[in-house]
Parts: sequence; structure tokens; C-alpha cells
Amino acid sequence: MAGGLNKKYSLLSRNVTDIILENISDGVFTINHTWHITSFNRAAETITGIPRDQAIGRHCWEVFRSNMCERDCALRRTMKQGKPFVDTSTYIVNNRKRRVPVVVCTSLLKDKSGIVVGGVETFRDMSTVEQLRKELEDRFHLGDIVSRSASMKKVFAVLPQIADSYSTVLLQGETGTGKELMARALHDLSPRRIRPFIAMNCGALPDTLLESELFGYKAGAFTHATRDKPGRFALAEGGTLFLDEVGDVSPAFQVRLLRVLQEREFMPLGAIIPVKANVRVIASTNKDLSALVAEGTFRQDLFYRINVVRIDLPPLRDRREDIPLLVERFITRFNNLRNRNIAGISRDALAILMAHTYPGNIRELENIIEHALVLCPKGQIEPHHLPGTLIPTIPSPPRTKTIGAAVKSAEENEITTALKRNDYNRLAAARELGIHKSTLFRKINALGIRLPKIDGRTHRRKKP
Amino acid sequence: MKVALTVWENRISPVLDSASMLVVIDIRKGMIVNKHYVPFYVELPHARAALLADLGVRVLICGAMSQLYENLIQAYGIQIISFVTGDIENVLDAYLKGTLSRRTFQMPGIQPMRRRRFRGGRG
Repeated sequence: MAGGLNKKYSLLSRNVTDIILENISDGVFTINHTWHITSFNRAAETITGIPRDQAIGRHCWEVFRSNMCERDCALRRTMKQGKPFVDTSTYIVNNRKRRVPVVVCTSLLKDKSGIVVGGVETFRDMSTVEQLRKELEDRFHLGDIVSRSASMKKVFAVLPQIADSYSTVLLQGETGTGKELMARALHDLSPRRIRPFIAMNCGALPDTLLESELFGYKAGAFTHATRDKPGRFALAEGGTLFLDEVGDVSPAFQVRLLRVLQEREFMPLGAIIPVKANVRVIASTNKDLSALVAEGTFRQDLFYRINVVRIDLPPLRDRREDIPLLVERFITRFNNLRNRNIAGISRDALAILMAHTYPGNIRELENIIEHALVLCPKGQIEPHHLPGTLIPTIPSPPRTKTIGAAVKSAEENEITTALKRNDYNRLAAARELGIHKSTLFRKINALGIRLPKIDGRTHRRKKP
Repeated sequence: MKVALTVWENRISPVLDSASMLVVIDIRKGMIVNKHYVPFYVELPHARAALLADLGVRVLICGAMSQLYENLIQAYGIQIISFVTGDIENVLDAYLKGTLSRRTFQMPGIQPMRRRRFRGGRG
């Protein structure tokens, strides 16, 4: 009687297990000692794209088709070492030739008496997680530009629309803020990406040379001009021409540049017929062009011609949150370039980098990392691997113990400066800093910033 | 004509994307005249495709492969017979006899191959 009941419960239990296996979202299959599949659940069918009747009886590697099968099979390790393995990341190739990222767990399959009869493998489709992770990562990346700061995110958000248009773009930012990278990103996102991207530094050449470089010349245009030479405008035909340091162009050349942008045609030196130019121009400068216009050193008409869409690239000191991201990027790049294996940067060294003001912006940070990699033989970059010039900029040791302290000190500095600049008007300072006024008040309290009794509002009210 | 097979423990490697060994076979007039093993350790997809082209491979017989690898290898003008399974000797024999399209040599879950006679050896 008792034996019959046990048998009944055993059968019921097996049914319940089968139902559970059929209704979970993880793929499960079992194998015997000869690596043949003995069971294959519904989720396994969905993830691999292989019907159960075709999977059962086949070798597991013919069905699962993972990059681990050949070299580092988790089931093989489990069978050999007699212990389970959890959360091994890998990918499989499904029936539609698509790589599916999966996380795998393996364990031994034993019968009632504890004898090993095979192995069991469960796997979870990680496609959605991978996709979300990638999307999240992409939010901080655009081409070779990497940033998680709010100001750069705003630029990232509008960049595809700007790239899609044919309008001339003006990139303004201090030296080393990545103007050329941004120009390249614009080109790569634009419909012109299959055509050339040509860059030209206008500040480096005298007028005559600049003219022949940009517009080219015809054979016989001057002594030793034995053959036609295409200019950068001709080379960039159908693509993008990046004019760097456009603020340094002489007033005489500004007129020629204006004509090209206005008429969309140019005249090579010595030519008698103008050449049509289907080129998108991206200009950049590290100067304030509107100030140059006010001074009278930059033509107003040219300014309006190139200032159709303007992108302001913030200096690195205004987006300190990007420093760890950039450091990581540069270490990876130099590791690959120099065949090195530097693990990262220590907390103390990063705190020093966070406290620096970077007059040379991202280029300066890149050089600092390159310097550190030369001096750092292995392991992590430590403070003594950083250039000596950075050391005096470190505040007193207790305050730079952590990144948090360095950030606090930088925040305090920025808030105090912004308040002073705005005559202690909290709302104006908050706007300038790009934060809400309550956040500013909270930060003033938290950082213990002492303010004078006057504030911008009372001051203004008294004025009239 | 050179035919390459991805090998793992004397059988076709389950996934071309991570295969580590190739056997390259020279076939003339339906007979194997040369057979040698080539490490296939290169990781980058382009490098894998380029290595096959450098070896002068005209036909590649392999296990599962992702679309990326298929496109790259085909771009080098190499004919691909993928999602093949079985022992190397049997697969090669079937290829020479033109019976590789039989279900026994196909991985599960794949549409049956068109009735083609994959036969080399003319070169």
C-alpha cells in the first residue's frame, strides 16, 4: 500500500518537474555519458531555434553550438571535476546564423542512488540585456567621442539631425576639446560618409599657400606649377571639408572663403572657369568669433555664413565626470597600441587627475596618460607615474584621499566662482552651472560655502 | 583545388567563429593529393577570412557559423558549405562522392541543403 503511494507521488512529482521545465524561460537540456542529448525543454527550442525531436539523440555540440564547445566546455568541466559551474558567459549560433549571448549553468545529473548518469545544462538568453547594455554604453559614446556629462549629452542628442542636414557647422571650443573628432563624427553620421573627409588647418599657412592648398592650381599658374593640382575643396567633392582654426584666417582670405560658401563654387589658381563645389563645410575655432567680429578682425558676413549651426564644446574642467571615462579609454587604447597590459589607475592617481584644471583639455589628459604608461611597468598607474607638474596642484593630502573629496573641492570652487561672477545671484549662478536652484542651495549647505549677506536679487532691487 | 575543413578532435568543429584548426586538402581529378593541418588561431573575422584566401582555399566545409563570418568569407570568393557535422574522413568522403547534402551530415534545425552535388577534384 505504502509502496503504491510512493510510486504515485513519484510519478506526480515527475509530472510537476516536467511542467515546470516546460514553462520556465531558461533553456534546459540533459546529456548522457556519450554526450547525446536526452531531454530538451521548450525554452531551449526557442533559444536555439532547433525543434526538440531534432535535438534529442544528437551530440550536444551539434545542437548547442557555443564558442565554448571546442576549448572550454562547461559541461565537460562539470563531468570531469564533479562540481557545478554557474553563470559562464558565452554565445551560441542559432539556426538563423545569429550569435545569441547566453549565460550557462552546468551540473551533474544523478539517479536516485546517487550514480552520475550525465549532465544538465541550463542557459539564459541575454540578448535583451546585451542590447540594453550596448544602448547604455552608446549613450556615452559617439564615434570616438566619449562623455557622460549633461552638456555633451545635449550635443549627442542633436548631432544626428545636424549631420543629416547640409548646413555649414561652426564648432567652437578651447584647444584640445575634440573639435576634429566632432567634425569626423558629424561626417560619419551624415549621408556623405562614403565620400571623403578632408581636414585643413587654416591657421598654419600664409594666404598664398592656403589659397593653393584649398582651391588648387592649374599647370602654368606660377613658376614650377608643371601640372594641375587639385585643392582640398576638389578632394572633398561630395564629402566634408573641415576648416580648423578658421578664426586665424586673414581678412583678405576671408573674402575668398565667403565667396566659396556663398556661391558654392571656387576658382583654382590660374583657372578661367569656376569649379562647382559640392562640399559640406565644418569650420572650427578656439576663439570667440563674435568677439572677433566686434573687434573688426573677422568679417561679419563670413561669420553669419559659417555660424549656421553652432556647437559649443565644453572644456574638460566643466565636465570632470568624464575624466574617469576618458582615462579608461586612453589606457585601453595605449595598451592596444603599445602591447601593454596596464590594469587601470589607482584611486589616488585618479584623485590627482580629477583635481587638475586641464588648460590643454582632453589632449592634455591623453598626454598625461601616455606619460604615465611610459613610466608604469605593470599593474596600476600610481601618483608617482604622473607628470611632476601635476603634483603641486594637489590640495592638502587629507582632502584628496578619495575621488569624492576631489570632486567636492572642484564643486566648491566652481560654485564659488559662478556665484561671484553673478554678483551672488543664486538663480543666475544655478542657471550658469546648469543645475536647479534647489540643488545649488543644497550643495552650498552641504559644502559649507560661506556667502556674503548680500545676494544678486537684493542688489538688483536696490539699483533703480 | 583546395578544400578546407575546420577540425576538432577528428570531427568538424561545431562553430567556425571559434574553430582553432583547419585541415587543408588539395584535390586533383577527384583524388586527395595533399593534406595538411593549419592552426586557425586568428581571432579577428577579417583575418580569418584573409587567412583562408591566402591559403588558396576555394571551398570551406565547416560547422555552424554566424552571418558576419559567412559574408566575409564569401567576399573572398570562397564557396561555403556550413552547418556540416560528422567525422572528417566521412565528411571528406561524402564531399568527394557528392553526397554531403545527406541529412546525416547536417546539423539539426537547419533547412535541408538543396540537392547539390558538392564535389570537388576537378582542379
